Amino acid sequence: MMTAVEKTTEMHALWQERFERIKKAINLEPVDRPPVIYMGVAFAPRYMGMSIADFCEDPEAALNVTLAAMDKMGGWDGANLPGGGRITPALTSMWLSRLLVPGRDLPSDSLWQVKEAEVLTVEDYDTILNKGWSAFLQEYLPRVIDLHEFMDFVHWNMQNAQRRWELYRDKGYVIVCDAAVNVTIPFEYLCGGRSMTKFFFDLYRMPDKVQAVMDVILEDLLAQIKAAPRPAGIGGTWLGGWRAASAMVAPKLWDRFVWPYYLKLVEALVDQGITPVLHWDQDWTRDLVRLQELPAKKCILNPDGMTDVKKFKELVGDRMAMMGDVPASMLAAGTPDDVHAYVEDLIQTFGGTGLLVCPGCDAPINARPENMQAIVDTVHSHDKVVS
Amino acid sequence: MTDQLIKALSDLEEELVLKLVQERLDGGDDPLAILDACREGMAQVGKRYEDGEYYVSDLIMAGEIFKQANAILSEKIQVDTGKKRGTVVMGTVEGDIHDIGKDLVVGLLKAGGYEVIDLGVDVPAAKFVNAVTEHSASVVGLSGLLTTSFDAMKDTIAALDAAGLRPKVKVMVGGGPVNEQVRDYVGADAMGADAQAAVTLCNGWIESVEVA
Repeated sequence: MMTAVEKTTEMHALWQERFERIKKAINLEPVDRPPVIYMGVAFAPRYMGMSIADFCEDPEAALNVTLAAMDKMGGWDGANLPGGGRITPALTSMWLSRLLVPGRDLPSDSLWQVKEAEVLTVEDYDTILNKGWSAFLQEYLPRVIDLHEFMDFVHWNMQNAQRRWELYRDKGYVIVCDAAVNVTIPFEYLCGGRSMTKFFFDLYRMPDKVQAVMDVILEDLLAQIKAAPRPAGIGGTWLGGWRAASAMVAPKLWDRFVWPYYLKLVEALVDQGITPVLHWDQDWTRDLVRLQELPAKKCILNPDGMTDVKKFKELVGDRMAMMGDVPASMLAAGTPDDVHAYVEDLIQTFGGTGLLVCPGCDAPINARPENMQAIVDTVHSHDKVVS
Repeated sequence: MTDQLIKALSDLEEELVLKLVQERLDGGDDPLAILDACREGMAQVGKRYEDGEYYVSDLIMAGEIFKQANAILSEKIQVDTGKKRGTVVMGTVEGDIHDIGKDLVVGLLKAGGYEVIDLGVDVPAAKFVNAVTEHSASVVGLSGLLTTSFDAMKDTIAALDAAGLRPKVKVMVGGGPVNEQVRDYVGADAMGADAQAAVTLCNGWIESVEVA
């Protein structure tokens, strides 16, 4: 029977082994097998029998149930993002939109949803230009969330970041996105606040004003990054994109309103010792070649199954790792055989390194547990094969 | 001037399109002919999308321009009169409130000459059944962004089947995570990878009926 100290020592050794595997995969060095990374925010409570309302309401319960889900399945090397905290304020902070919350606005065991509406107005562009982004946000946030709820969310994250990181380590799990900064490109904030159609109209009708606003936001984001502490672990940070995807935005707009801002944010994050995890939903295949402009072995692409990862491997595989991309639809509507074949194909495509196997975007609430298990099992079937 | 209007819409020249529509109306042109030119412009937008020249943002902007042109024309005529290509019932399935993709499909179908019964979002299966019956629709479009919408799509198609309507309608599904595997899972006839694909699907189905 192991003592608690012996158990902790064993887990820390396991964490170190997994940490090295993940670091090597990111650095494109040979690995014994690809790391397998958990990502399933809503999957965890459903899998463990917790109501989604409780999951949304209680940050500590959300943390515990996520770890319990990982433990129950076993075999994960780490997590893309840590569990815990409150998901709906987190989403509000990125989408600048009101969230419909289970137990309040929706049935208690249904999934939260973003309410698409024009909350940020054209007149707000002038406010941002005149007062700056942070000052504007203070005025804006009460339109989409109760400020007390939002501040509770912020405080919980600040007060529990280190404890959460250690809790994961004590269980042998490495958190990929563990850096203390969380930003995305101005496009996504504005698109969420304006609503997608209204924002796309703005891009055609008032491009100069939108760009000026984006530049103001960017300065604020760069200052946030500069103030972030240098991370101790993997040091990744989620740098998302969903409506800015290549399939959504015309090239002339993408070249002006999307890519330059990614370049500047990536550069600032890398300068700070942080690894940007380009969490790109939707199809970005058209512009994958632009990833060649990013510093080699300093970023990770984290697509959701819609971007052509074979093309990514061909164009950028010698410069950047890929974390993904088992499609959410396959996890919900496919079979373990489908998942096994998909993961095998990923492993064959990427060869000995540069791959972290992970659900694309996020394993959905109705992912079949046997499909999640198939991800883990397929990766571990290579435990002794790849040297 | 007709060619100029078609080209202006195809090139997403918003101000020019609206100016030309107004000028032609003021000049005494037949509003239905102007509407036809706008529809031709939209058809060219769809072609440019299918050719990979245009993207979703362009479709959204084109739809907005067409909508404004329609608003101007509607002062003179009932723009939804005339022969329709067919009737399509559209909606985002129960449990899902996302409407952007669905709205885009609705706009493009209307521009393509279809009568569209838009049931909105979070639509129960029974409402689709009732709408198909009431409007004698030949196509049903089910939209969803959440993976939980898959089961709602499946239930809706089962309800159409239970009501004896399934042999009479084609069902297309679409939305962010919807792919061929999902189409197979829910039992739809086809999957539209994007809004323009939905129009292409309807055109194909209607043409096959017309040929038969």
